[in-house]
Amino acid sequence: MINAYLPNLAIIKKIIRETHNTNTYMLEFFDKQLQTSFSCTPGQFMMYSVFGAGESAISLSDINNNDITATIRNVGSVTNTILNMKEGDSIGIRGPYGTGWPLDKAKGKNVLIIAGGMGIAPLRGAITHIKNQRNNFGHLEIIYGARTPGDMIFKYEFEKWRQIKNSRLDLTADTIPANTPFECKAGLVTSCFPSMKTQHKNAIVLLCGPEIMMRYAAKCLETIGFKDDQIYLSLERRMKCGIGKCGHCQIGLKYVCKDGPVFNYTDIKPFIHPL
Amino acid sequence: MKALIIEKNSMNILLERFLEEYRVFGPTKPGSDSTFDEIKSIEQLHLDYISTVLPPKKFFLPPNETLFSFNIKNGKFTTKEIRPDEKILILGIHPCDVHALLKLDKFFSGDFNDLYYQNRRKNSAIIALNCVEPSEHSFCRSLGTGPFLNEGYDILLTDVGTNYLIEIGTSTGKRLVKGLNLTNASEEDFHEKERRLKLMEKKFKKSMNISWLPKIARENLDHDIWFDLGERGGVAGSFPCLSCGSCTFVCPTCYCYEVYDAVDLSLKSGTRNRELDSCQLLEYAEVALGGNFRRDRKDRIHHWMLCKFGAAAGGKNSSCVGCGRCIRVCPSKIDITEVAKALRRG
Repeated sequence: MINAYLPNLAIIKKIIRETHNTNTYMLEFFDKQLQTSFSCTPGQFMMYSVFGAGESAISLSDINNNDITATIRNVGSVTNTILNMKEGDSIGIRGPYGTGWPLDKAKGKNVLIIAGGMGIAPLRGAITHIKNQRNNFGHLEIIYGARTPGDMIFKYEFEKWRQIKNSRLDLTADTIPANTPFECKAGLVTSCFPSMKTQHKNAIVLLCGPEIMMRYAAKCLETIGFKDDQIYLSLERRMKCGIGKCGHCQIGLKYVCKDGPVFNYTDIKPFIHPL
Repeated sequence: MKALIIEKNSMNILLERFLEEYRVFGPTKPGSDSTFDEIKSIEQLHLDYISTVLPPKKFFLPPNETLFSFNIKNGKFTTKEIRPDEKILILGIHPCDVHALLKLDKFFSGDFNDLYYQNRRKNSAIIALNCVEPSEHSFCRSLGTGPFLNEGYDILLTDVGTNYLIEIGTSTGKRLVKGLNLTNASEEDFHEKERRLKLMEKKFKKSMNISWLPKIARENLDHDIWFDLGERGGVAGSFPCLSCGSCTFVCPTCYCYEVYDAVDLSLKSGTRNRELDSCQLLEYAEVALGGNFRRDRKDRIHHWMLCKFGAAAGGKNSSCVGCGRCIRVCPSKIDITEVAKALRRG
């Protein structure tokens, strides 16, 4: 039997610099067979091991069967070590784990994607999926907010996203430092809601960001008619195993790693202190 | 197979047979409290114990264990798995603890298998011992996990006076008593077992009714009792929780663990280890940048109580078996049975 705790070695093929503390990594398993059999759905995550530093759960930031994409911000000891790695270095990975975004349920519906900060990373795969199967989905609206324009990731994707047929992209930043050559609104993601095109009828919301942002966003959506069961959100928790054994990510009757990280809002609402 | 009996004075025959095949662990009494420790001779064995401080979980999910080792050579990592393969026998384990192991068996299998736990369980034999004297804190009877056992044993012993009644549960158990030349049990021995069970059932001082409790606990997320437990104190004379985590470490069904890397001084090799963690500790739900999903003490004790009522993610696989260890060690005198009663009162 396979030992679920043992990471597989992968090589860093390519690094894309996103911001001063965030990079996107393209990885490939050393084991060719593992690489060819690898498949994932947008919204799933992998466990990344830096031997000596530990292990972290990080979401897949794109779907592409040729390599494994992760966007990593330096926030702790593991991610700090990863950020100092170069192309060609090796890293341990295992996964993918968890459920992805409910893209089957979203078929034929208008999709509203709301992301805050690094929350856009697990959602990029969903956007790519919708772009690839454009006819299966209705109107696509992406609202993306970050602390400052400089903290925004995937800037090179914005133009491509704007060109998706029947879609709208709205960018906002909490604060915009003076002399920033970047065109976006100032304000929280919820400040984009008045100009939002998507209406609650026949729509599905994919939400990811800091929990406080998701709480406010869900509350605002409720006031304009969205029902709880139309909202899906991806949660962050401490994770040590990724397979529902270490206990840390428990939320109510669910493990975020095994039963999530994407949840329907109705299922977890009581446990994330709704407003 | 027929049941057998063995004189209490002749237990060394059984022990010597076990020692031929297994490392044997059983209850010993080094001080005022009992503990499970390695048994090499019959003098160490104290089968008439009430309860041990730590549950036998420590043999299957050790407080600290190495998952694998890693090595770096010429910039390339290699990992080497470590799989436990020692044959161990737990002698004199009480029904509540056997039930706890059965719960953990379910927990550590399923969608993902925990090979470390499973290997240890596969290589182990369970010689259970029915309880004839409850501790002042135990309430297994009300949860159906004691005082007598019906499942999960290779061999089951019951104190019937000057003898132990030996019942066989599995082929391993059958093999272990084969050729020992023991007397067959008589009808009277079973009557005596029955009598002792009835007698035992009357001795319990505590009880806990958990039917509907998961639902009640879930629907009362803002119940006053969580504030009482976490901040104010006063649930049946208890003080507020100190978040020391003792309850989780002595609980036979608490499974949470932390994973960490230990690096060799050469920085060329190291090990990935896991150690028992406690949901009562502040760091338990902490994430990067200082976020913490259970910062308040009341949220942590609330979570543990829900888990023990079977209303957390582990479900029934991490729920209470009524051994009473948490009540015994709690420095704040928090009593899970009183919490359940208070919740039921509404």
